[in-house]
Amino acid sequence: MRSVTNLRSAGEGFVPPGAKDFVLPPIFDSIPWLTKPILLVALSVILVSVFFILSSRKAAMVPSKLQFAGEGVYGFIRNGMAKDVIGPEFMRFVPFLFTLFTFVLVNNWFAIVPMLQFPTFSRVGFAYALALITYVVYHSVGVKKQGLFGYIKGIAFMPGVPKPIYLLLTPIEIATFFIVRPFTLGLRLFANMFAGHLLLLVFFLGGEHLLQGVIGLKIVSPFAFIAGIGLTFFEFMVQCLQAYIFTLLSALYIAGSLADEH
Amino acid sequence: MSHNQEGAAWSILGYLISGPLFWGGVGFGLDSWLGTGFLLPSGVIVGMGASLYLVWLRFGREA
Repeated sequence: MRSVTNLRSAGEGFVPPGAKDFVLPPIFDSIPWLTKPILLVALSVILVSVFFILSSRKAAMVPSKLQFAGEGVYGFIRNGMAKDVIGPEFMRFVPFLFTLFTFVLVNNWFAIVPMLQFPTFSRVGFAYALALITYVVYHSVGVKKQGLFGYIKGIAFMPGVPKPIYLLLTPIEIATFFIVRPFTLGLRLFANMFAGHLLLLVFFLGGEHLLQGVIGLKIVSPFAFIAGIGLTFFEFMVQCLQAYIFTLLSALYIAGSLADEH
Repeated sequence: MSHNQEGAAWSILGYLISGPLFWGGVGFGLDSWLGTGFLLPSGVIVGMGASLYLVWLRFGREA
């Protein structure tokens, strides 16, 4: 550690990126709520809508490239996820899951799109808003299907357990379904996006800082940039994976609410 | 089926978190109420045991 500090470049010390880099000022001082993440969400809605309207408008028997891409994503969610996980009633939930997947995916991609370069879900409020939507959906589906009493009973009381054991298990079931699930759902998305953005910031800002240093530091700076580019591809993978996981878990929770016995 | 295995993995994680969390929390509350110190660790252990039992009930029984 000591040797590293001795190699410090001339000028002021390196200020590592941190949580402060995620707090973006309003774009206009007079409108405090209009920040970059808000604009990115709006942009993602426009992009997703335009893409799928264009890809489905001139639907033809011999699909264009655009239609092929749009149908590929739709088919992936519909057949690869909803049908497999939810079962016979899956069609009702395809619009929800499809919207969820594309929305999360595009917002995650914003982290590595040049000029935008900010993942919306690295702000925790956006991630929890989505988790809340899934939460409301899977509970309301369960209540509608089994009735309020039947739904709660299905969650809280496993069949085939001696009665005194319920004292031990019921609180865990309740905590899992009502607290831990939505909490981890939002946290997983938020933390992955937050950490990914921070990681890229460290490598690119660090590389830039090394470039301003003495000759020994200038030589190693390209390695930071190369590692940063490698990590950008890695982040791309994480972004796709998180969008997939978020949608898959939503589908699984819905499937759990639909099943009579958990 | 791979989807359901993935789902099982995440559900199991949820149970394993909430068990120690809940019963550890009960232990913590009792500890500060009664002024003792052993109930928080006991609660965590009981919660872990209960979680594992629950995981076995949900995912291990039919196998």
